[in-house]
Amino acid sequence: MLRFWNNPEFVRHRRSELRPVRAITVAAVVAVMCVLLWLSCWSFEQSMMEHGQLAEQSFSRSTWLLFYRWLVGLQGMALTFWVLFSCAQSVSGERDRKTWEFQRTTRLTAAELMIGKLVGEPILAYFAVLCAAPITLIAGLAGGASLGAVISLFIFLAVTSLFLGLGGMWLSTLLESRSRGIGLIGALALYGFTLGIFGMYASGLPGLAAISPLTGMIHLLGDGTDREFAGIRPLLFGHPVPWLLMSVLLCGSFSAWLALMLVRNLKRDYPEIRPLSRWQAIGCAAFLNFLIYALLSPAKLMDTLSGMTRQGWFPDARSVALFAVAMNGLILFLMGLATLTPQERLKVWRRKRATGESAVFADDGLPWPWLGISAVVAYALMVWGLLAWDHTLPLDMGTLQAAAIRLLLVLVFVTRDVLFLQWCMLTRLRQPIVKGVLFLCLYYAAAAVLTGLTTVSSQDAARWMMALLTPVQAFDTEVKGLAFPAATYAGLVLQTGVIGAMLVAISSRLQRPMQAGAAA
Amino acid sequence: MIEFVHLRKEFDNVLAVEDLSLAIPPGEIFGLIGPNGAGKTTTIRMACGLLAPTLGRALIAGVDVAEEPERAQQNIGYLSDFFAVYEDLKVWEYLDFFAHAYKMPEAEIPARITEVISQVNLEVKRDAMIAGLSRGMKQRLGIARAIIHRPKVMLLDEPASGLDPKARLELRNLLRSLRDQGATILISSHILTELEGFCTSIGIMEKGRMVRSGSIEEVTAAAASQRLVRLSWAGNSQAVVEEKLKSDPRVSEVSLAADAGTFRFSGSEEDLAPVLAALIAAKVPVTSFGEVKQTVEQLYMKLSTHEVM
Repeated sequence: MLRFWNNPEFVRHRRSELRPVRAITVAAVVAVMCVLLWLSCWSFEQSMMEHGQLAEQSFSRSTWLLFYRWLVGLQGMALTFWVLFSCAQSVSGERDRKTWEFQRTTRLTAAELMIGKLVGEPILAYFAVLCAAPITLIAGLAGGASLGAVISLFIFLAVTSLFLGLGGMWLSTLLESRSRGIGLIGALALYGFTLGIFGMYASGLPGLAAISPLTGMIHLLGDGTDREFAGIRPLLFGHPVPWLLMSVLLCGSFSAWLALMLVRNLKRDYPEIRPLSRWQAIGCAAFLNFLIYALLSPAKLMDTLSGMTRQGWFPDARSVALFAVAMNGLILFLMGLATLTPQERLKVWRRKRATGESAVFADDGLPWPWLGISAVVAYALMVWGLLAWDHTLPLDMGTLQAAAIRLLLVLVFVTRDVLFLQWCMLTRLRQPIVKGVLFLCLYYAAAAVLTGLTTVSSQDAARWMMALLTPVQAFDTEVKGLAFPAATYAGLVLQTGVIGAMLVAISSRLQRPMQAGAAA
Repeated sequence: MIEFVHLRKEFDNVLAVEDLSLAIPPGEIFGLIGPNGAGKTTTIRMACGLLAPTLGRALIAGVDVAEEPERAQQNIGYLSDFFAVYEDLKVWEYLDFFAHAYKMPEAEIPARITEVISQVNLEVKRDAMIAGLSRGMKQRLGIARAIIHRPKVMLLDEPASGLDPKARLELRNLLRSLRDQGATILISSHILTELEGFCTSIGIMEKGRMVRSGSIEEVTAAAASQRLVRLSWAGNSQAVVEEKLKSDPRVSEVSLAADAGTFRFSGSEEDLAPVLAALIAAKVPVTSFGEVKQTVEQLYMKLSTHEVM
């Protein structure tokens, strides 16, 4: 499987996209661009020297260093975007050409298809970088960079490109047929997101910035002019680690999850795509929770390392717990989305359940029991994480008690929303999940407006309204221990009732008779 | 060779295939007949692993397609009503890709590519780019793709739709030669004349259910309670013929003209022989005598109209 050069899908791409004439043209274009870039750098440094801003003896080295930085920067941006963009059209493009079904009926496994596409789709980009590699190496060495630094850069580029390629391919499997607009917007959004994550270096989880292609390049190429970034190192369990190592760890682990989702789904028919099994989804949620505590950088520790005073994200254990609860709201919702059961499977599960052949915790059952397990796992990890950080962020029992109620509140609201989406899937709505999410947005907007309107008459009434309709009370920083306002508990009871109503609605939908024929 | 065991497929609120059980022995050409939306395509897509059944199993050469798709697909050649190809490859490169994708032994591939290219008459286009081929040639290339790995089972979903008459004839000949080589073929179509004189057995599907299946003779016998027999004679023997036929209790609906006629007979094919012998014994100069076979189309219309709709 790892011998990708023999992978039929890779060979197909190599043959179709890298015919000799095209390969020579690409190599020539790369060479011409390198010459132009070098001349630009040379003229820039020449003018710097003429203006006395550069000593004559360092002219040559400085020119090569500038050339090296531009070369790597351009390659990095072009490679990562090209890989993402081409992989983002890999599966949807095949669906659009109607060749996908023929690939799915071959003996190629999903893993072989994934690797073939990952290394085959952007083959021109890889080839262009390969052509520029000797020049980059010479420029780097002539510019004073060590061989290790140049090799590290290539490793970093390879890791981030493969991660983005897998992300793009996953995006592509979710597109029913090629829609250049949606594919391009999705790829741009994903790229923008990964670039934007660079800003996380100054957050309470600086290690997350290592996912961004910018981070590694700025770190490995940087001249130290960005003092703030230069002073920050990512932390792993409180220990500073190199950015490159963090990039490899994070991109590698996220790539592994993406690869798992692709291998599970690549050969499935579009309506049967389910990103992860229930247990895998719980594993993924646990992994994301684990990352919070592994990458955590308490304010005190950050100040000690960088020597600068800042308003950190995590001055105490309570702020960490609040952050973890908020993150778990998002994680649980995403997990719910990933584990929604298609109508067909849910009906079979219901029938089997009626005859005692299937359990509540079946993989084709409703998602709510799994959300519960995931919340329990998240809470256990929170206790473990906060105890592990006790030496820097002292923990008290009240924080853990409050966190339990906060997480329960978030769990109930997320479960209600996920069950609503599951109900939408049983209706005749076209694109039920998209519409369901839009309905949820409408609901929360309406709840905010209602709360605003109630504020006019009474603050207490507004608090009740907010607590009954939204999980905002979970983030009330004034609460200590279990002493939440009565409205919070009332909201909890009300929403549990709504969950019961959703379950009844889903059950009645599942009992509707089937219509025979006319499937095609 | 092909076996469906209580196969069922649901799409949201639609029951596309309901409790389909069927066994197609090796060497059979099985025609799946039915109107659009009857469940033919869904059945074939489940058989080749493109769709997972809601319940039940589809077995190809004894391998469960849903359980071991890659192993089952080794034995499957799939052809659908569209012939999508990779336009940016050469003809031989396209076939080479699929030969490798079906994991054929490396040493066999070049010879096999040459063989199938010759089978579909594309020898002169071997090194041509696919983008430059005509539609008919692309269709033939699609057929070559489906047979490159010498599948034991061919699953053909409306394969002739969109083909010109010449290409249809070529497809028919190719499928016959595959059958002669021992392949089992499951072919779906709603163009019934396409299957005439070609299938060894048929199955009629409507609204997701198999209304009737079996060899053409079995289905015909089941569909027709009485055989329609046509005869003709020389000279003026109408009265004698009428008298002889009406004297047989198994004969009904006698309709005669001056030198020819038809009647219904409720016995077997062998039982017809004494009827002919009686006519000859009565000195009727019989010039032709035989059962009028029903076409697949007539059979389908009969079963479909009277039993389902």
